[in-house]
Amino acid sequence: MTLIRQYLKALWRGRRLLIYTFLLCFALLIYLPFLMIALKSIGRGWFGRLWLPPELTLDWYKWAIEVTNIPEITKNTLIIAGLAVGMATLIGIPTGWAFGRYRIPGKELLMAMILLPRMIPPIAYALGVAQIFYRLHLINTHFGVALAHVAVCAPYAILVLSATFEGLDERVLEAASVCGASPLRTFLHVVVPLILPGILSSMIFTFTTSYNEFTLTLMTYGKDTVTLPVRTYIAMGEGYWEVTSAMSILLVIPSLLVLFLIQRQVAPEKLVGGFKGV
Amino acid sequence: MRRGSPIRSTLITLLMLSPGLASFFGLFFYPMLVTIVRSLRPEGQQVGWTLQHYITFLREPRAREVIILTFVLSIASTLCSMLLSLPLCLVLRQKLRGHRFFRLTMLIPRVVPGLIGALGLLLLFGSRGWVNLFLMQVVPFINEPVRINYTVPGLILFYTWLYFPFTSVTTLSTLESLDPAIEEAASVSGANRWQVLRHVVIPLIMPGILAGSVLTFMAAFGAFSIPLVAGGNYRPLAVEIYRQIDFTPARWSAACARAMIMAALQVGFLTVYMRVLRRPVA
Repeated sequence: MTLIRQYLKALWRGRRLLIYTFLLCFALLIYLPFLMIALKSIGRGWFGRLWLPPELTLDWYKWAIEVTNIPEITKNTLIIAGLAVGMATLIGIPTGWAFGRYRIPGKELLMAMILLPRMIPPIAYALGVAQIFYRLHLINTHFGVALAHVAVCAPYAILVLSATFEGLDERVLEAASVCGASPLRTFLHVVVPLILPGILSSMIFTFTTSYNEFTLTLMTYGKDTVTLPVRTYIAMGEGYWEVTSAMSILLVIPSLLVLFLIQRQVAPEKLVGGFKGV
Repeated sequence: MRRGSPIRSTLITLLMLSPGLASFFGLFFYPMLVTIVRSLRPEGQQVGWTLQHYITFLREPRAREVIILTFVLSIASTLCSMLLSLPLCLVLRQKLRGHRFFRLTMLIPRVVPGLIGALGLLLLFGSRGWVNLFLMQVVPFINEPVRINYTVPGLILFYTWLYFPFTSVTTLSTLESLDPAIEEAASVSGANRWQVLRHVVIPLIMPGILAGSVLTFMAAFGAFSIPLVAGGNYRPLAVEIYRQIDFTPARWSAACARAMIMAALQVGFLTVYMRVLRRPVA
């Protein structure tokens, strides 16, 4: 009897080990590519069957900053992302409010329509966006690229914000007005604090989307509006993998920092979800 | 909250909806319309109608290859994502030590640009990458580097890496909203752990897994950056479209025709898929 119990215990322990092995393999699969990029970006003469680069150098970062003009490109990327976040939020707040709080006939259908840009391959409408923007001379302007990003960012902002506004409890607002607060006071002191986290998370998510957006940027950029992902692509095409790696590290660190910083405030799982009841 | 005449409230609702509708029509509907019209115009002209671009593309022997490749890549990576997500979520649900860390890990492919993921994977699985070094040193009979990059299985692996979070996050959230009482009831009734999993948990979370798989499929079908840099000679539809306008003279009409074919295929497949999904559930 004790033997069987011991055997079961060992199996139980083995199971835990198995689980951790599985999780470890999974984590390795996710993180090793970044480690490889990091090693590539600081290594020199890393050829043949070597596990680690034989010589360390920071030259590639110097190249990335001087030759490919990273500061300028970062400025472009941030301006475009900022504009896109601003526009998406301005679109998302009223529309999200209407979706979350008003009774609209055919709401489900309307919402499905708004979300359609996230279901059709971006390249299909990116072609149309590019042609329209050529006609309107919006190609190669920060505003134009940001506007193209709004096509994917706005549905996202509307979705997150409408969920936020839907969760706003009517009774709290009534309580405020019963206690004698004017509508303005209610808005400033009750509504704003309640919806601010939702707006912030929508802004963070649209920022990430715009910061990483590649397809729509590739169709609308010009020489003055190169963004970091597009520059990385160009550098990969040029074949300087070390410099590309250095640029990638510079590009990826802010994304990862944001993820680890915001994980406690906003559920980052929302970043990938989005479609209720698909 | 608002009490006014019905007409006024309708107007207010419309006014509030208008920015969203404007962005939808201006940035999605109108561009799609432009794409459709352009695909029906003779190359480089603003007048006349033709179906030439559709016919030329569909007659090419390459067309079938491209379409099949696109479907193979997206369906295979969707299946792989489901196979990876299910055990992962079942494990993460137990709230082991460090489960928060693994939850975040799960999201990482979604917060970094796809290009960088592709770059890292190309380095990792390249002939001089760590995976091949490991295989050559540990596994006997492997003395030559295994070709992973620029092959179809490699691409499926890359796609899975990039797009599985859609499936796993949806699966995990479904799993966590599952009432533990149901499982308890099953095990009290004498079902062992495996039976509970097989006959109770998995059927109950299946809708969540399938919903997530739809997201993964859509993303994989429209994937552009990964096959662009890591595809090599394998070019799915999105890359094929981009190649039409990457050269001078750009062939916009041809690109638009291919884009319409791609959109139609995706919508068609999704409609069938949803129909199949709904049948047993509804």
